[in-house]
Amino acid sequence: MKELNYSYYPGCSLHASAGEYDLSTRELFKALRIGLTEIPDWFCCGATPAHNVDELLSLSLCAKNLELADKVEGDMAVACASCFSRLKTAQHVLGESDVKRKQVEKAIDAPVKLDSNVKHLLEILAKDLGLERLAAAVNKPLSGLKVACYYGCLLTRPADVPNLDCAEAPTIMERVIEAAGAETVAWTHRLECCGANFTLSRPGVVLQLTNAILESAKAAGADCIMVGCPLCHGNLDIRQKEIEGVYSTSYGLPVFYLTQLVGLSVGLGADKLGLDAMMVNPMPLLKEKGFL
Amino acid sequence: MSRIGVFICHCGENISRTVDVERVAAEIGKLSGVAFATDYKYMCSDPGQNLLKKAIQEQKLTHVVVAACSPRMHEKTFRKAVEAAGLNPFLCEMANIREHCSWVHENREEATVKAIDIVSMMVERVKKNRILPGITVPVTKRSLVIGGGIAGIQAALDIADCGHEVILVEREPSIGGHMAQLSETFPTLDCSQCIMTPKMVDVANHPKIKLYTYSEIELVEGYIGNFQVTIKKKARSVDEDKCTGCGVCMTKCPQKKIPNKFDQNIGMRTAIYVPFPQAVPNTPVIDRDNCTWFKTGKCGVCKKVCGPGAVDFEQQDTLVVEAVGAIVVATGFDLYSIDEKPKGSPIKGYGEFGHGKIPDVIDGMTFERLASASGPTGGKILRPSDGKEPKQIVFIQCVGSRAREKGISYCSKVCCMYTAKHTMLYHHKVHDGQAYVFFMDARTPGKSYDEFWRRSIEEEEAVYIRGMVSRLYQKGDKIVVMGSDIAVGVQVEIETDMVVLATAVQPQKGADLLAQKLGISYDKYNFYSEAHAKLRPVECATAGIYLAGACQGPKDIPETVSQASAAAAKVMTLFSKDKLEREPIVARVREAGCVGCFACKKVCAYGAVEEKEIRDRQGNLIKVVAYVNPGVCAGCGTCQATCPSKCVELDGYTDEQIIAMIEAL
Repeated sequence: MKELNYSYYPGCSLHASAGEYDLSTRELFKALRIGLTEIPDWFCCGATPAHNVDELLSLSLCAKNLELADKVEGDMAVACASCFSRLKTAQHVLGESDVKRKQVEKAIDAPVKLDSNVKHLLEILAKDLGLERLAAAVNKPLSGLKVACYYGCLLTRPADVPNLDCAEAPTIMERVIEAAGAETVAWTHRLECCGANFTLSRPGVVLQLTNAILESAKAAGADCIMVGCPLCHGNLDIRQKEIEGVYSTSYGLPVFYLTQLVGLSVGLGADKLGLDAMMVNPMPLLKEKGFL
Repeated sequence: MSRIGVFICHCGENISRTVDVERVAAEIGKLSGVAFATDYKYMCSDPGQNLLKKAIQEQKLTHVVVAACSPRMHEKTFRKAVEAAGLNPFLCEMANIREHCSWVHENREEATVKAIDIVSMMVERVKKNRILPGITVPVTKRSLVIGGGIAGIQAALDIADCGHEVILVEREPSIGGHMAQLSETFPTLDCSQCIMTPKMVDVANHPKIKLYTYSEIELVEGYIGNFQVTIKKKARSVDEDKCTGCGVCMTKCPQKKIPNKFDQNIGMRTAIYVPFPQAVPNTPVIDRDNCTWFKTGKCGVCKKVCGPGAVDFEQQDTLVVEAVGAIVVATGFDLYSIDEKPKGSPIKGYGEFGHGKIPDVIDGMTFERLASASGPTGGKILRPSDGKEPKQIVFIQCVGSRAREKGISYCSKVCCMYTAKHTMLYHHKVHDGQAYVFFMDARTPGKSYDEFWRRSIEEEEAVYIRGMVSRLYQKGDKIVVMGSDIAVGVQVEIETDMVVLATAVQPQKGADLLAQKLGISYDKYNFYSEAHAKLRPVECATAGIYLAGACQGPKDIPETVSQASAAAAKVMTLFSKDKLEREPIVARVREAGCVGCFACKKVCAYGAVEEKEIRDRQGNLIKVVAYVNPGVCAGCGTCQATCPSKCVELDGYTDEQIIAMIEAL
């Protein structure tokens, strides 16, 4: 069987607020014997601010990172939904426009890499490793855990850019976590926006949008929510207590990164998954289900 | 020695703007064999043609080249003029200096040089043109109409009323098509069945119409005036001659819970059934996939109760061959389904609307069946999920239509009007209900159409919201509609009881396969293509085949009926002559050289190449050679390009002529 090796682009969040995503990703990949080499000297993809201010800048930041990644063996593994979206968008835009490609090549003083594969972790687990091999690696199946898979905006959209799964009715998260033995719930708000970075400038909007998501997950009978995006995680996890206060309700829904849940199923311990970093304490749930 | 006349057209300014036509005439006049060269502002006009005729007679011209537009445009015009002046029409050729030259170039000097080249080539080619005798073929004055909806019915009745026999073939067990499913029709709100069923009966009773229902086209051979059509009559399991249509079999059939396609699967039917009570013919069909007898070999109740003994389990599919002279294709439309589409389909379905999994999200045709007095609810608007009356209803227009990201960019044309109609029908039946409509634009061009739409808002209290819907989801027994109101610039959310989608009009499934059997062209959506969008809208590019109704593009009933009558008129024009003149640009085989390899026969797309035996005077077979049937040959030239011994040549395009053209450059 072919060995899997990837160049790893953690992105800024994983070195800051989403440290547990970074930790659990590395540990999970180690456990699954998938090679992961952090790209030397990688830097910010530009995230939301850059493309709102200067298109050339945002494209150049991504193009340069793609060029750096090219020097490391393997396709590029990306954990953050926003980095994933920016890198894919840059490839898409530069592939469509010769004019922009030439501008960017001048800016970064290097040829643009359009053929390198940028892959979200979900894609690596579901397609490269494959669900069968993933299921074979599971030694502590998450039986009886009802998971609400939350995609947010950027993992699948816009329709023609990320090509991770169907833009309007994706199933890739459900397929991955079902391979880990969990149950998934059918719920209505898995593709709605959480408010993203309005969490700082317009928190009222975020509280309203995030509340609707939590309410829908709870109503569908979920025990927890699974995400693949640090910003969604921040809004759903960090803001959850505040939302419960504002809307006089109680959710108590732990919000896991996909790598944390899959990590649990392959037998990784709490210390290797950064479970202590979560604001909504998952321990009672995990103990009740007998996973820890 | 040829005396060639060359006539250079200005085409108003279309040619003369970029080509120096006087210089072209002067240069061409110097060529050997050219006796006369001139230019004129509009060669195709009456004075232009007169100039041509006069020159032929006065200058004693032997050949003519008209340098003007594309031969597709005016070749017939000029050949006719040449014929009127006493020359064989096939001694006239056109040099295309408009589409191939003036329209595509800007530099006058270069364009003029190119125009001279094009005309010189044509001069060399026309020198070697032969006098061609016209080909006449007989016309079989019977016609085939494919599809028994309103388009097919109208075309069949019009042709039959003129005294010509019509074969009408319908795939379903009854004629009537989609129009028979509709409740009421815009803009007059008259009951669709009331105006449709009499026409269906007229078809059944017409002495000149031969009806094949539950039948499909298997094979089409031949050419204009002389088609042989093989029709597959699917086994009905009921003898049409013996059945009296009493209906006892249907009341006794124990299988009563089969979704009825005619009722959009919300009503139920038996395994032996007619799709609806007014069906024509009123002869039931056994649905073999759902019949207990065919599944288990037991039951046979229908056979036992049938008085005349018409039920026949042993019946087989049969093939019938009919000879016809013209074909009208009227296969109609189908509605876009929002379900998940198979991988690789350019059409994507609607994941954001739940891929059709929410039971009270229905399409427009299903609403028609709910509103129809003959429908499964007896005309009451009731939710499919729980049978309750919806007090709020949301209509969403442009589902699939005008949505490039979903794979369809065209407008389905009828949805604005039928959605307005639906709001009225709803308001008439649910007095305390409220209808909302999400729409992009209201497109209501048509007699009394805009007034009708206004009425739905002003008198029937429909609330129109300009904007699109992003998502639908079930919340308890309600459906949440998330959309935008772009007039106010806000997001709107409506909790409603029922949603009706105005899904796009698409060609019938299998339209492409039928087109391949018929040899007609179709677009990327599988709509059939007319020969000319403006001037030949009901004819196919394939001679003798005509189009009617929504198989050519989305159409409402008035337009469909008009087009059907127009197609019938074209058929009658064809039938007005006993013999048909065909263009004699056909391939000929030089029998002396032919070795009988029949490479030409293999490549001929029209089946025009036959085998011919060459015998000596004693009747001994010497060899078998290829023979091109001039009645069938379409003059495409593929055989000429294929023939290894260079023994097939297309008149007007012989190797000798092509080489002469190249040498003229």
